[in-house]
Amino acid sequence: MAKKEVAVVGVGLSKHVSKRRDVNIAEMVWEAVSACYEDAGLKPKDTDAFITGNMPAFEGVNLPEEWGAGHWGAYAKPLLRITTGGTTGGSVAHGGYYAVASGLYDIVMCIAFEKQSDGNSTMGLNTVALADAAAQFQLGVDPGFMAAFGGGAVGVAVYQASSYMKSSGCTTQHLDKVAALCRNNAALNPYSHLKQPGLTPEEVAKTTLLQYPIRFGHVCPATDGACAMLFTTGEKARKMMDKPAYVLSVSSCSDEAAMVGIAGSGTTNTDPCVQEGCKIAAARAYELAGIKEPRREIDLAEPYAPFAHQMLMFYERLLLCDEGDAPSILDSGSMGLDGELPVCPSGGVISTNAIGASAMERVAEAAMQIMGKCGERQVKKEVRKAVAHGWGGAVNFNVVAVLSDTPRR
Amino acid sequence: MVQNVGQNRVPRASIPLDPVFSWSVGNWMEQFFDGMKEGKIIASRCPACGRVYLPPRMICERCFVKADEWVELLDTGTVQSFTEAHVKAGKGGELEDLESPEIIAMVMHDGADTCLVARLEGGSAAVGMRVKAVLDPSAENVLDLLSCYRPAE
Amino acid sequence: MDKEVAIIAYAQTPYEADVESSREMQVLQVTRAALAAAGLKREELDTVITANNDYLDGRTISNMRLVEPSGAWQKNESKVEMDGAYAALYALTRILSGDHDIAMVIGESQASVYGGYVPGIMMLDPTFDRQRWLLNEVSAAALQARAYMNACGVSEEQLAGVAVKNLDNAAKNPLALRAMAGADVRKVLSSRLLYSPIRELMASPLCDGACAVVLASGKAAARAEKPVWIKGVGFSHDSYLTERSLAEMGSLRDAARRCYGMAGIEDPASQLDLAEVHECFAHEELMAYEALGLCAAGGGGDLLDSGATRIDGSLPVNASGGVLAANVACAAGLARIIEAAMQIRGEAGEHQVPGVKTALAHGQTGLCAQENIVYVLGGE
Repeated sequence: MAKKEVAVVGVGLSKHVSKRRDVNIAEMVWEAVSACYEDAGLKPKDTDAFITGNMPAFEGVNLPEEWGAGHWGAYAKPLLRITTGGTTGGSVAHGGYYAVASGLYDIVMCIAFEKQSDGNSTMGLNTVALADAAAQFQLGVDPGFMAAFGGGAVGVAVYQASSYMKSSGCTTQHLDKVAALCRNNAALNPYSHLKQPGLTPEEVAKTTLLQYPIRFGHVCPATDGACAMLFTTGEKARKMMDKPAYVLSVSSCSDEAAMVGIAGSGTTNTDPCVQEGCKIAAARAYELAGIKEPRREIDLAEPYAPFAHQMLMFYERLLLCDEGDAPSILDSGSMGLDGELPVCPSGGVISTNAIGASAMERVAEAAMQIMGKCGERQVKKEVRKAVAHGWGGAVNFNVVAVLSDTPRR
Repeated sequence: MVQNVGQNRVPRASIPLDPVFSWSVGNWMEQFFDGMKEGKIIASRCPACGRVYLPPRMICERCFVKADEWVELLDTGTVQSFTEAHVKAGKGGELEDLESPEIIAMVMHDGADTCLVARLEGGSAAVGMRVKAVLDPSAENVLDLLSCYRPAE
Repeated sequence: MDKEVAIIAYAQTPYEADVESSREMQVLQVTRAALAAAGLKREELDTVITANNDYLDGRTISNMRLVEPSGAWQKNESKVEMDGAYAALYALTRILSGDHDIAMVIGESQASVYGGYVPGIMMLDPTFDRQRWLLNEVSAAALQARAYMNACGVSEEQLAGVAVKNLDNAAKNPLALRAMAGADVRKVLSSRLLYSPIRELMASPLCDGACAVVLASGKAAARAEKPVWIKGVGFSHDSYLTERSLAEMGSLRDAARRCYGMAGIEDPASQLDLAEVHECFAHEELMAYEALGLCAAGGGGDLLDSGATRIDGSLPVNASGGVLAANVACAAGLARIIEAAMQIRGEAGEHQVPGVKTALAHGQTGLCAQENIVYVLGGE
């Protein structure tokens, strides 16, 4: 059976704010799903399969689709749940790509969300550390040592940022600039959470220092929100719209290892700024997409960056420039909405982070920019090819998708 | 065939987690709870197919439209199924013996298309029997507003 | 589907109540065993899909610590948070996409670690049912059993009959946890009453274990010795527990219909040589007979009584002992696929049924089999 082309024909987003107390989880997700169906001009009965995911620890509900999927149009339909932590939304989108590409499911609804206000973000993030603790405990590592070494999500980001700054020449001013760029972009995005029009890097530099080099202004919010996307075959997409966005390829790389390694896995990737897996995933995705020179051929990037330094770090790890060059590329203005290779025109994860949805929202933005549907934040240059990325796992799980205005041939 | 390795004892640790969640119930469930505070059974109905959801749901899953018509139902219904419970789930998830058995019933109120689950007290159970909801409008916890079912006269 | 994706190797751990091993080691074992059986090196894997659940594993992003033992290091790996039979579906789509040729699929959990029936309770509506603490996997199953028995005139003896058949079969399966050679109905009917009509021996034992399957594209499978082809797959979601009739398994019927359509099965009772059904509770097997079209609606009890589904019958169901012999959440449905494949390859040892060419495997997830997935496998 010939592989099918995969296209995006609909995107839907709920409101993204810190607390949606007016709706329950199922109802919040419905907003994104119904907006997506409306955007595509399709109905649930047209759908061949549903794929859904979120990060369970945050809502404290096991398989929330068992209770909620009736709200999402999945009545009597095939349903699959994919969850990979912070990359869940990206993994769900990848699932949609494969489902359509396989030829078995022509119209696939992909749903990703998080209702963080229903739970306790710290608890959710700390249970990530629990896995580390369990692994180390089994290996006889002293709990006192573990406690000194650990640190939750901000802890990892601090090591990562410091290491990245050392190797790349990125300064704290660059972090301030990234935050300002993203929050200004977010102000033009009706679906973003933190909109700060006119925010300057100097104002970011004045926010509370959390742990050097990371300031409050460099960090993402905790958001309640949902994203839905409809994937279909290239053939069907062309009947539905003039300019669908095609998903040329997806790839991911799991470079996780226990902090001290198990059974001689051979990884020494304990410096979280190396992100070898991102480079591997990107290289694979570009190869599958027929892209030989990403830095020339990619017009737009949506890296997953809940912390400011990550926008620059992942720009490099996505092979869009030489390692260490992202800060100067930022300085050149190239990453702005009217730049050579705009980055995070959506405002990025640093402006909006409903964790389970965030990695899908990168794919959604890339698709919408290609389709020219971004209104005030539509980038100046014509977007022919874009890369969308997700990061998560413990520290070393990366997902990459390459989108285009033309199908893979 | 795979052999289990690990002839030495695997270290075990119990890490108690007591997370507190605070789920928004949404406006539809809020109507349900508010109704019971006034001694009423409130359900939502789909304007397209007429399906009546109890507890109320915002979306009719069959029509994918808002079930935004409100219906007050009678407190009577029919037992769709029941079970005599001799155990209950403990906090740790094991099934602990109950001192005396109790009946859990799945009840479809007259006029509803979905069911409520609660204890059935004051009589033995049978599929198809008629029951009446016992509400406790003054209950402090909204989850206790629907107290139980009793055989209808 | 015609010779596009095949099962080329598999492995299961023995199923134990409380294994003296970490889940990582259990996954490592089945991964290595499956690779060895396939004659492959880890480097030759293109993708890995694991099936596991954060609440069962007691940690967020439960797959991340399984990256190494599942052979997924630096590979394109993902996680399906449902039964392993769904992870196999995802791997299937990855292979059919043309982007991957060889996939490792793994399911695991350890009941000795997670809190028994609590993860199931956590699937309930958090705004109401969950916190009232009346419903759980077993009480919900009891409500389903009663509704079904009432609708179809099935008796408790017939429920016990399923347990007897499967637990007797399990005595021939060296991996089974619970087995009772020469079991009889009286023993089942006098076991601990949980939620009527469900007694302990009618409820599957939650336990520890892992299993793995290697899937290969037609091209890669052509090199394998005895590929078992996936002829068709279908899956479906059913409505929430209190919003559907529990007297029938609607989503299993829909899943089977989709699968049969793909596999060209018009008369399952005659075209299938064997079935492995994911029966967490004895009554589920009878309901499955009907939903799978092995008998007419309402005829599940009669089919059992006819002896057709015995290991020596015309359509053996759960020759392995089924899930009543061992219930490893996230792995039990994948194990049904393995058992069906084993039968086709003639590798089922003592519980081998002669002449199996076409077999059905079923997996479920959620309370009262809310999610169902069905495969038809063929040796030719």
